Amino acid sequence: MISIAMATNRSAQRPNGAPQTKVCQFKLVLLGESAVGKSSLVLRFVKGQFHEYQESTIGAAFLTQTLCLDDTTVKFEIWDTAGQERYHSLAPMYYRGAQAAIVVYDITNQDTFGRAKNWVKELQRQASPSIVIALAGNKSDLAAKRMVEFEEAQAYADENGLLFMETSAKTAMNVNDIFLAIANKLPKSEVSTGGAGTRVLNDADAPRASSCCK
Amino acid sequence: MEDDYKFAASTFFAKNHPGETCGSNGLPLTPSSITILGRSQRLLQIEHPNLCTYLDIIRGKHERIIVVAEVIGKALAEYTTKFSYEEIINIATQVACGMKLLHDGNIIHRTLSDDNILLDSNGRVKLFHYGMYYMTNEGKEVPFPLGLPRYFSPEAIIGGGGPSADVWAFGIIILELCIGKLWNNLKPSPTMRRILTLVHSNNPAERIAREHYALDAYKEIPENIRGIIEKCLKIYPSERATFKDLHSELSSMNTRTPSEIKPVRGLMGCKLQYLYHWWQLAGGDIQAELKKSGLIKNSPPILSMPIAILLDGPTIGGKTGALFDRRIAKYSLDLLKNRLSHIPPSDFYPLMHERRRDYEAMALPKIIRERDTEYQFYRLLWFQRLLHGYPYTAQCIRSEAEIDIPPLVRGDVWAALLGVLGDIETHYERIDKETPTHTDRQIDVDIPRCHQYCWLLCGAEGHKKLKRLLKAWLLTNPQYVYWQGLDSLTAPFLYLNFCNEARAFACLTAFVPKFLHKFFLKDNSAVIKEYLAKFWQMAAFHEPQLATHLHDINFVPELFAIPWFLTMFSHVFPLHKIVHLWDALLVEGPSLPLFMGAAILRQLRDTLLDSGFNECILLFSDLPEIDIGECVKESIDMCRSTPKSLSYRRFTNEPEIKDPMVRYAYITYLNTFICKIIIYRDMVEIPMEILLNEVCPRISLSDFFSLICQDKCCVIDIRSNLLYEKSCIEGSINIPYSGVHLGQHELKSLGPQPYKVLVEAVKMNKIIVVASAEDGTAQLVRDKVFDFIKILYKGSPSRFI
Ligand SMILES: Nc1nc2c(ncn2[C@@H]2O[C@H](COP(=O)(O)OP(=O)(O)OP(=O)(O)O)[C@@H](O)[C@H]2O)c(=O)[nH]1
Ligand SMILES: [Mg+2]
Repeated sequence: MISIAMATNRSAQRPNGAPQTKVCQFKLVLLGESAVGKSSLVLRFVKGQFHEYQESTIGAAFLTQTLCLDDTTVKFEIWDTAGQERYHSLAPMYYRGAQAAIVVYDITNQDTFGRAKNWVKELQRQASPSIVIALAGNKSDLAAKRMVEFEEAQAYADENGLLFMETSAKTAMNVNDIFLAIANKLPKSEVSTGGAGTRVLNDADAPRASSCCK
Repeated sequence: MEDDYKFAASTFFAKNHPGETCGSNGLPLTPSSITILGRSQRLLQIEHPNLCTYLDIIRGKHERIIVVAEVIGKALAEYTTKFSYEEIINIATQVACGMKLLHDGNIIHRTLSDDNILLDSNGRVKLFHYGMYYMTNEGKEVPFPLGLPRYFSPEAIIGGGGPSADVWAFGIIILELCIGKLWNNLKPSPTMRRILTLVHSNNPAERIAREHYALDAYKEIPENIRGIIEKCLKIYPSERATFKDLHSELSSMNTRTPSEIKPVRGLMGCKLQYLYHWWQLAGGDIQAELKKSGLIKNSPPILSMPIAILLDGPTIGGKTGALFDRRIAKYSLDLLKNRLSHIPPSDFYPLMHERRRDYEAMALPKIIRERDTEYQFYRLLWFQRLLHGYPYTAQCIRSEAEIDIPPLVRGDVWAALLGVLGDIETHYERIDKETPTHTDRQIDVDIPRCHQYCWLLCGAEGHKKLKRLLKAWLLTNPQYVYWQGLDSLTAPFLYLNFCNEARAFACLTAFVPKFLHKFFLKDNSAVIKEYLAKFWQMAAFHEPQLATHLHDINFVPELFAIPWFLTMFSHVFPLHKIVHLWDALLVEGPSLPLFMGAAILRQLRDTLLDSGFNECILLFSDLPEIDIGECVKESIDMCRSTPKSLSYRRFTNEPEIKDPMVRYAYITYLNTFICKIIIYRDMVEIPMEILLNEVCPRISLSDFFSLICQDKCCVIDIRSNLLYEKSCIEGSINIPYSGVHLGQHELKSLGPQPYKVLVEAVKMNKIIVVASAEDGTAQLVRDKVFDFIKILYKGSPSRFI
């Protein structure tokens, strides 16, 4: 499994002659209304693929991908959550302790933008104060059916200090870029090697979590 | 011999969508061949003495469709001798009878002609390939025109026409039978022009006859037949007779009682669908035969490459085969006859009171049994018998289904296992499946993502049906709401009952309360928590080493197992695996899924043991290939070897266990179980908070005592020496919990006596019970038991064997 993750890790190029690079691990969570393309974005970023009939997500899915910045290797531990409102109660388990979040909406559907704003609000209230939030207006390939104007979303993002891009999991437009922008914005002072995934549970009120994790 | 040919295939190409056109939602357009397959499922269900049964619709390469259907005798067009009027009435009566059924079911034939009306030497008539217009969505999904021009009604030529166009065609056919072929040797467009000129005529039939210099012959036709012809060949569609009228009129004219056909016995008397299925299992290959007979031509792929592709999609040039081939290839059943020739005639009529036979194949894995001609021969005939007797044979069906279920009747068997009964059609009919609700958006975005690799579910027909089923279920279960995943759960039922929505619905309706009681409540967190906790306990019980590892790395089922259980694995596996899982589920009952989960863990055991948190969760996010046969086998073994009270859940529809539940832990190691027991006085229900904290399940007192009576367990009493000496369970050993230290990994350190007893117990494959008497130390005891597990599994295994 690890080797597969490495093999598909397209952006991790060893910087020439750098004997040791700083490795940073970040936990990133994707939030947003159902069917806006969260899983598709992750799949595009992690495996470079796009499935027209991407299955819906129940609960959450976990994937990892590594990016190489100038002197640092950034490893994202990505939690792709379920979009249906009913699964909302599970979300805190995933965004608590996350250093970054991508809130996704579908540019062809105004309601999903409204839902995205609610997610942003919730993150601002409940998540770690230092969390880096990016807003992704997905399905930009369907511009002909656009219902959310770029300017409107940009203005909202500026107001709230969010990174913002319109993306397309289908054409891959801005997909790597948005992750890269997040990586750039994340503080890379501390070198963490511990599984951030494990931290999810320590922070959550998961009953069985104890301090025995390595 | 006529009897040699039972079915035939024909082939054509579906329309190609030019280029990579996308629908407005950004998803690719459904290929026409998929639409055709979806629509033709309904045709596969039609059974009528005057209609050739459709047996299979196959999707070949490059949008090729192959249709397999029953054949008899030969087409009217192939008969060279003239029919007597008596024979004509007989033919017409039967054609009208078949057509009446089609029109009753809102299926328009549109291609009725003398080459798809089959007649055999007994005077039986069957319509062949009457579903072409229907399956191709009124011809919209194929790149060629349907039907023969000389049977077109005037309104059909100008692009209209409903069912009454079939009546016109019928009239022409009878006319032809009486006065000979019409517009012979005329090309399509002049033929159609001739037909259009008829619109000014009062009596088109007579006019046609005159044009063919056959007025005398026309006048010779008996009055009643002429009457029928003229009622059909009316210019205004609304004035034409219906097949209902025609059939009743013709029936009264028909003097010929169909010559007594002796019911066929033996192999040829079996259901045609079965014959086709067995023929395929015996190696029959429709496509290979088509190639042999030249209906599918293989040309090098380079020849079919387009010469040019325009930027906006369409292609120019490139050779493709004939789009539509009117020829059919008939198939001989010799292959199957030879294969089954040694079967004694009496075996075709299995008797219910006979003892169950043991077949050699029974020892083979299910997937292989499903491909074994002879085995499926016996199983199908047997199940046919049993299903015929349902509901009185329900018990029998269940015990047979435990062995395996023949894929061909899986839908029927599942319905029987779920106790589906009564007038389900009317019930389903009455449910409002159309009125929009606020759940529609979610359903609409989920359906195009649900098992879309399956061509039945990915077409428009499948989408519509799935949506109706979901809406109907939600409406009839107001206590529940739509949780994502309900779509996946419904899919297997739709897949097996594609043309029987009512039954799919009845199955779903029966399935949920049995297996997913309260799962679809708006607030289902307690239900899911309990289920996951139970699953974790069962996993710990059967895979203690793995459980301790996962516990140590903080890996909890909430992270991966919700879709497993919420959808009974239907969101996790492809349909061909789900059906095998559910075959077992429906027979074994609602506890089995817990053990299926444990069996999956067991299959991944080695990888999991070597993995940390991240690798584990990655593994489950992208589940590797699971051997379902193995998983089913293991889970059934685990389920049956686990005392019932261990998997007890509060949120279930099953009858409650009235015994006091005993605080308990139960762990296996190398096929040996350890368990812990604290005897409570009067507690039946375990509070949720406690349950969620317990790694190990509890057992009911009666289960416990039955273990003791059967000498299947070894009791470790962890109370203090004092209490132990006062009273104890006979044969138990005393290891006061204060005597076990954290970090101790040697069984020997427990003391010589316990060591001896434990080693003995492990050798005897006994269940080891750890008993205490108080609750106050619950947490302590939990940890202690955990230490026991650790000690047992960290100690070198050779010591125990
Ligand atoms: N045209 C287009 N379609 C997309 C794009 N991204 C996703 N889709 C489609 O949108 C649908 C939903 O995508 P998913 O990735 O499953 O959406 P999700 O947000 O993960 O949905 P949930 O798992 O239900 O929360 C799928 O059919 C995708 O093929 C995109 O960029 N362009
Ligand atoms: Mg998703």
